[in-house]
Amino acid sequence: MRSVTINPAKICQPIGAMYALFGVHAAVPLVHGSQGCSAYPMRMFNRHFGEPVQVAVSSLGEDASVFGGKKNLVESIKNVIARRHPELIGVITTCLSETIGDDIDGIISEGNYEDSKVVPIHTPSYVGSHVTGYDNALKALVTNLSEESEPANAKLNILPGMVNPGDVMEIKQMLDSMNISYTILSDISETLNAPIILPKPPFPRGGSSVAEIEDCANARGVIALCEHAGGSAAVYLKGKYGMAADTICPIGVANTDRFLDAVCDMTGAEIPYSLEQGRGRLIDAMVDVHMKTCGKRAAIFADPDIALALAEFVTELGMEPVIVSSSTASRKFLQKAKSVTDGEILNGRDLYELQRAVKDNEVDILFGNTKCTPIAKDEDAAFVRCGFPVFDRVGYHRYGFMGYHGGVYLTDLITNAILEWGERG
Amino acid sequence: MPLTLLNSDKAIPEREKHTYIKAPSENILPLSNVQTTPGDFTERGCTYAGCMGVVCGPIKDVIHLVHGPIGCAYWTWGGGTRQNLSDNPSFHGKYCFSTDMQEDNIIFGGEDKLYKSILEAHEEFPEARGVFVHSTCAIGLIGDDLSGVCKRAEEETGIRVIPFNCEGFRGCSQSLGHHIANDTLFERVVGTKEPEELTDYDMNIIGDYNIQGDLWAIMPLFERMGIRILCTFTGNAAVDEIAQAHCAKLNLMHCQRSTPYICELMEEKYGIPVVKATLFGVEQTSKALRDVASFFGLEDKAEEIIKEEVAQIAPKIEEYRSKFEGKRVFIYQGAPRAWHWINMFHEFGVETIAAATTFGHEDDYAKICERVNDGALVIDNPNSLELEEILTDLKPDLFISGLKEKYLAYKLGVPFINGHAYEKGPYAVYSGFLNFARDVEKTLFAPVWGLIRRNEHA
Repeated sequence: MRSVTINPAKICQPIGAMYALFGVHAAVPLVHGSQGCSAYPMRMFNRHFGEPVQVAVSSLGEDASVFGGKKNLVESIKNVIARRHPELIGVITTCLSETIGDDIDGIISEGNYEDSKVVPIHTPSYVGSHVTGYDNALKALVTNLSEESEPANAKLNILPGMVNPGDVMEIKQMLDSMNISYTILSDISETLNAPIILPKPPFPRGGSSVAEIEDCANARGVIALCEHAGGSAAVYLKGKYGMAADTICPIGVANTDRFLDAVCDMTGAEIPYSLEQGRGRLIDAMVDVHMKTCGKRAAIFADPDIALALAEFVTELGMEPVIVSSSTASRKFLQKAKSVTDGEILNGRDLYELQRAVKDNEVDILFGNTKCTPIAKDEDAAFVRCGFPVFDRVGYHRYGFMGYHGGVYLTDLITNAILEWGERG
Repeated sequence: MPLTLLNSDKAIPEREKHTYIKAPSENILPLSNVQTTPGDFTERGCTYAGCMGVVCGPIKDVIHLVHGPIGCAYWTWGGGTRQNLSDNPSFHGKYCFSTDMQEDNIIFGGEDKLYKSILEAHEEFPEARGVFVHSTCAIGLIGDDLSGVCKRAEEETGIRVIPFNCEGFRGCSQSLGHHIANDTLFERVVGTKEPEELTDYDMNIIGDYNIQGDLWAIMPLFERMGIRILCTFTGNAAVDEIAQAHCAKLNLMHCQRSTPYICELMEEKYGIPVVKATLFGVEQTSKALRDVASFFGLEDKAEEIIKEEVAQIAPKIEEYRSKFEGKRVFIYQGAPRAWHWINMFHEFGVETIAAATTFGHEDDYAKICERVNDGALVIDNPNSLELEEILTDLKPDLFISGLKEKYLAYKLGVPFINGHAYEKGPYAVYSGFLNFARDVEKTLFAPVWGLIRRNEHA
């Protein structure tokens, strides 16, 4: 295998932690690192979501890199609290602060923060990827904040992972139609898809509150939609509080069926007729286009859980997932990928390798983020944009692929991509 | 009123030194180019951003290999958000190279992985004219011997392999990264190749990054005058062009924050004089053409070109002026464009009521303070809370800034132009001035602003 990475498939951990924190109401991500570690990820969020984001940074300079970053971190926390009064500060480490070896847990525990919670999140950039960073952040939030209290409630914890606001909306609508009370952790459905109404609130409306995160401990179950981005928090909640836990990524018919079954099992709810209708509409959409989708050879690149679920969905559409490629290397992904494809599996390989595979496998349709656009062009494949970041087209954050209704949207996207591809000269 | 403390800064009074409201007959400049207050929500970037992102990245025919964990390479892939175009798009900006350092590399050192990465990248792209190795934070701490590895790889590959020690934690902003890139390119590249022929009219354009094709609007003006552009530093630059930059008769410096260093070095070592220029707006562009013409003795030709160009756009500019006159703008840029554009707006009758830079030095602020009216706010390294306060309280008609501030302006209902990457450029010289005016008109008068509602209960 090459030593050099050409066209990376992954980003580094801190951006995943920021992603998670943006779904917590009145939370401030505080990056303990150099200024590029906040400025650059901010731009990626701006481009994908079309939203402003606020990230604080401890601005580690040469002195701090030699003598340690404690002074910068303490001062940063103080300044953020004094000027923003956040409910939560997530202190996000970087390759710089982790290599310096700052004991952020110790430094944070020495302070008194009044009404703000301060949570240390370890995200060294030289381990894992953005997905790992999201997973670590979520685990840090539940580990530091969740608190058992009597009596236990009937809520369900849903950990969506690094999905779009539109996906979270789809999940919420399904659960609402079942009259289930739930906590989404973390919930970016409003914070990263905010309206323009003046005056602009100091923090975007929405997001999970710190109180809800504390109350996570008392729920009757937890479902992580993306095992690699939230699974660790689910395992923690199950182990610590004994609640039921499952991981299902509800993309496609069977996966959504399974998700709803799990919800029913955990809560005793029943599937309402409105969801049965939603399922029927998805099947209707798939029947309508099956002559166009059946037999197409698909290459799928996404974060691991999304890639697996998409592979299952395109199979339902009669396509053949000839390449399933994960942004992030993982043993679990590798195992599961073998059950969803007989084709080529790329486990955390770069996009240069993906392009080679697309060329070799005579792919008709490619699924991937904006960084895959040139591959689709070069290899003349139909292209469906998905994942993060997508910034060469607008609006992808608004709509979800998850659930039956999201499946309809995705089916139409896929078919229209195939139609446009067929019309090319 | 002298230095002032914004409401959002009550808890960080040191920001007062950076915040100046211009008053008559004062000689005050806001404090600049110093460390950021930790946790103040700065918009600044790092030294790596200044070196790789700004100065080196536009060089179109070398492999830019980022040595470190994956993020830093990802951010600058394709120029990041910078839109610095080149005529080599099938290679430049399309590929992103990283050593993707893992935990064991951090513990045991990354030299082997770096060496192998250089050779493999060269093998995959043998047509690339060099490998630039950009060092990131963790590398600076673990102490990999970059120059040793690069030297070995250079011997092995036979192409230039040049290390840039641009770790993010150095310096207080992008600015030091510019300096490191200038010094390294001067030491290692400039003067290493002789041009096939020389003319008496050879000039370099230093400090233009070809944002959305600025250089392709700028160069023809000088070429029509009879000047040959030997090297552009670094927009759309081939590394061999930089190598022969020492043979120019004149350096025309556009970005006067990211490239004065190399201009000074070339003046010192090769005796190349420098003309500082602003290539935005009619008056400043015409002045630049005249300054260059008088150096080469091409005054008549310059006047001919200026006359022709101005005649083409003057009626349209007059029309725009009638629409824009009396509007108030807040300009926040990296550094020089904050003062370049004060005068450009002046041509439209638009007043700059606030100006700010991310990494400007004293000379930038001197120029800003000289150009704005009394009462204007001049602020160094503004953080996002300050920006929100300024946009809310001063209510400018237009905000010119970068992507990180764009959606804040939108959420506050303030018309916005991206001055870093442009909306639909180029914005330089005469033709670009019309593009700029067109974009300003679009945002100022977009009907959607009138549809925004207030709801105090929101």
